[in-house]
Amino acid sequence: MVSSWCWSCLSRLRPTPRALPPPSAAPRITSAPFHSTAIQLAQPAKKKGPSLTTAKHRQGHQVRRKNKKPVENPVRPPAAGERKALRKRIVLSNPNALEVKGMQDLSPGTMIDGRLRGTVLGLPVPLLDQLRAVQAFKPKQGWSIFRRPGTIMRHDTIEMGRLFEKISADGEGAQKGQVVKKIISGAKGTGKTVHLLQAMTMAFLKKWVVIAVPDAHELVAGVSGYAPIEGTNPTQYTQPAATSALLARTVEANREVLSNLQVSQQHPALTALKPSSTLEELASLGFQDPAIAWPVFQALWTELTATAAAPGMEKNFQPRPPMLVTVDGLAHWMTDSAYRTADFSLVHSHNLIFVKHFLSLLQPGQSPLKNGGLLLYATSTSNNPSVYGLNLGLEQLAARQAGISPSSPEYPQPFAFSGVDPRVMDLFKPAETSSAKEGPLEVQTLGGLTRDETRGYMEYFAQSGLVRQVIDDHWVSDKWSLSGGGIIGELEKLGRRVQNVQTATN
Amino acid sequence: MACRSPPSLIQAMQSLRLGPSVSCLAAQPAYLSRPRRQARSYMTDAVDGTETSEAADMSVMTDVNQVKAAPPIKLQEINPGNPNVQGLRIVPASPAYFSGNPRFIDQMLELETIQARYAALPTILADDAPRMAWLKIGQLREHLGEIIPVKKYKALLKILQRLNRIKPEMQPDEVRSTIETFVRPGNPFAVQHVPRPVDEHGRARGKGKRKESSAVVQLVEGEGEIIINGKSLVDVFHRVHDRESALWALRCTQRIDKYNAWITVRGGGLTGQAEAITLAMARALLLHEPGLKPILRKAGVVTVDARRVERKKPGRVKARKMPTWVKR
Repeated sequence: MVSSWCWSCLSRLRPTPRALPPPSAAPRITSAPFHSTAIQLAQPAKKKGPSLTTAKHRQGHQVRRKNKKPVENPVRPPAAGERKALRKRIVLSNPNALEVKGMQDLSPGTMIDGRLRGTVLGLPVPLLDQLRAVQAFKPKQGWSIFRRPGTIMRHDTIEMGRLFEKISADGEGAQKGQVVKKIISGAKGTGKTVHLLQAMTMAFLKKWVVIAVPDAHELVAGVSGYAPIEGTNPTQYTQPAATSALLARTVEANREVLSNLQVSQQHPALTALKPSSTLEELASLGFQDPAIAWPVFQALWTELTATAAAPGMEKNFQPRPPMLVTVDGLAHWMTDSAYRTADFSLVHSHNLIFVKHFLSLLQPGQSPLKNGGLLLYATSTSNNPSVYGLNLGLEQLAARQAGISPSSPEYPQPFAFSGVDPRVMDLFKPAETSSAKEGPLEVQTLGGLTRDETRGYMEYFAQSGLVRQVIDDHWVSDKWSLSGGGIIGELEKLGRRVQNVQTATN
Repeated sequence: MACRSPPSLIQAMQSLRLGPSVSCLAAQPAYLSRPRRQARSYMTDAVDGTETSEAADMSVMTDVNQVKAAPPIKLQEINPGNPNVQGLRIVPASPAYFSGNPRFIDQMLELETIQARYAALPTILADDAPRMAWLKIGQLREHLGEIIPVKKYKALLKILQRLNRIKPEMQPDEVRSTIETFVRPGNPFAVQHVPRPVDEHGRARGKGKRKESSAVVQLVEGEGEIIINGKSLVDVFHRVHDRESALWALRCTQRIDKYNAWITVRGGGLTGQAEAITLAMARALLLHEPGLKPILRKAGVVTVDARRVERKKPGRVKARKMPTWVKR
């Protein structure tokens, strides 16, 4: 049964004691309560109505049936797509929440400041539209319980801020223009998607180009159109609608950067393109006509990764900014997709050219982002298809990071007869040549917050008016243990939860 | 009392036939050292000693239905010097020989005698008497090799309990030794549960059960890290409610950041597992800090919840639910 309780509505989160139902109305709990769940959250007792089974034995009984007319539902059914829109709706602010005094914004200055570790920084308001455009927010991340969206500066965030600083250094830093490739791993609720959100915010702040695949599953779930490419073996497939949507998102989010860059390469495939047009106009060709979306995306990619103009087009060439490429839900790309070939066999995800493009960026030696940048591909260890090849690949990556040589006996090897997918394993092969511009593929595992970070996070809840207890060391340790060692998604659940205060404080 | 009267030659013969006599039986320390069934041992003795292997096979085939008679007593051979052999009469060792359960009756008579002899000794309350694990009725039947009805067994127990109530420091040796012959080997109730202290590595171990689940908690001083079956607390218990239940003993004593727990839990569902951990955790915590017992008792984590699922009964749909009434 769905509770009538509104989780996100602050006005009902703390009913005054007078508004509480009398104890007799609430279900009586007879055994010792080993929990602090508020009694109001208990499911109401079932009403005992007259039913067939309540009849006494050996007693006359007749089934009474009322002649009920079918009740016509006075409410019209929701329109097509209305419920989905409601489900996917993202609410980023709540006027009932208290405003946090002295809350700083994420900025190029604060994102590298180690002293801010454990504090919650607000996302800059001008960037919110851009972040919405790349679908950086997800519906169930609890943005709607605070006055304005903010994220915590944890250790990994500050490290990432410093990485952004190094790659886009104004001077000639050692790491300027470098490509860093990372796979973000971690259990459910450890903040992988929010980590990507923080990366996107930093990229926007640094005027990078952000290309984001917010949900990898959508591309392989068979929900958008696809078409084979002639003359490819094995047959590859384009996804015009998905590509066009990506272009639309990219233009919407990066309009400011793209409108200042002009076309600098020859694109014979695109006849409608004028030589003097900007990259924004180039990309908009793709979402105006999905049929040419894929060639347009290729052209845009060529432009963004160009280091110099083609001969004869040097006039308006400007150096291209670094790029941030994010993919959320990598594991879905490691198995067969839901698409079918002409002979009704399943299409492997790697045969979708869109997917293939983003996966090829991971492979060593391709130097995909010639102007530098960051690749962040997130995968969950909890809610994802279990792909043996991917798990093994991540283990191998971790082993290489720990300094275990691939020839060592301790290096993880596939089990015999495991039938591991060779295409998946190819992605995680060690680089044969190391280049200064391109770092090796790394895996970064996100865990729980430390106790200090937890304290800062819970204080943010208290300042927003969600938690009314005194935030002391004991309370924080309690929440830290209950959340499985500072898993941030669990901390958020605990912070917004109505507590039975009498029980919790005794 | 047959066994107390001076034994005559005949009675000695009789006791030879019967194997270990009743009086010997009372003196034996443990019932397990005795043959399991007297009747069967006669049979096998005779077969092993006298018959050939072929005859043994035959006797095995026939012993199910036929009771083999004991060999005739040859009085002349046993006592050749006595000329008056013909005048001798064979008298059973026990006056209860012709009753259904002579050994039991002998025992009862002996116990009654002892009870009468020491009736004047001061007694203690039944609750204060040392708890004894008396032979169960099946064990007593096996011990005596006789079918004893429940009522008689209860009468025996009543006497034993009365003897056990004699003030321990004044209890005569005769009473003590007699009582001991009716106690299960090892006297399981006499074994006191000794809680294991915190071991040399600082671990305290506690076990707990609830519903179908059983949990073992190893508690060490630490910083509040919990591992259950090698997984994190969040991976095992998705509900916050269950997580709170599992850690309730630590929470209500404000010890959650003082200990690390390494937990194994098996069986049952999530709620049962969580509450089994509650109990085990409380027990382990008590080994570290026995002074917390009143607080834990008040929090309800010391009391064992012994409820289990009620069994389904024949004629009912579930444990109590009756089938739907149908007119015809």
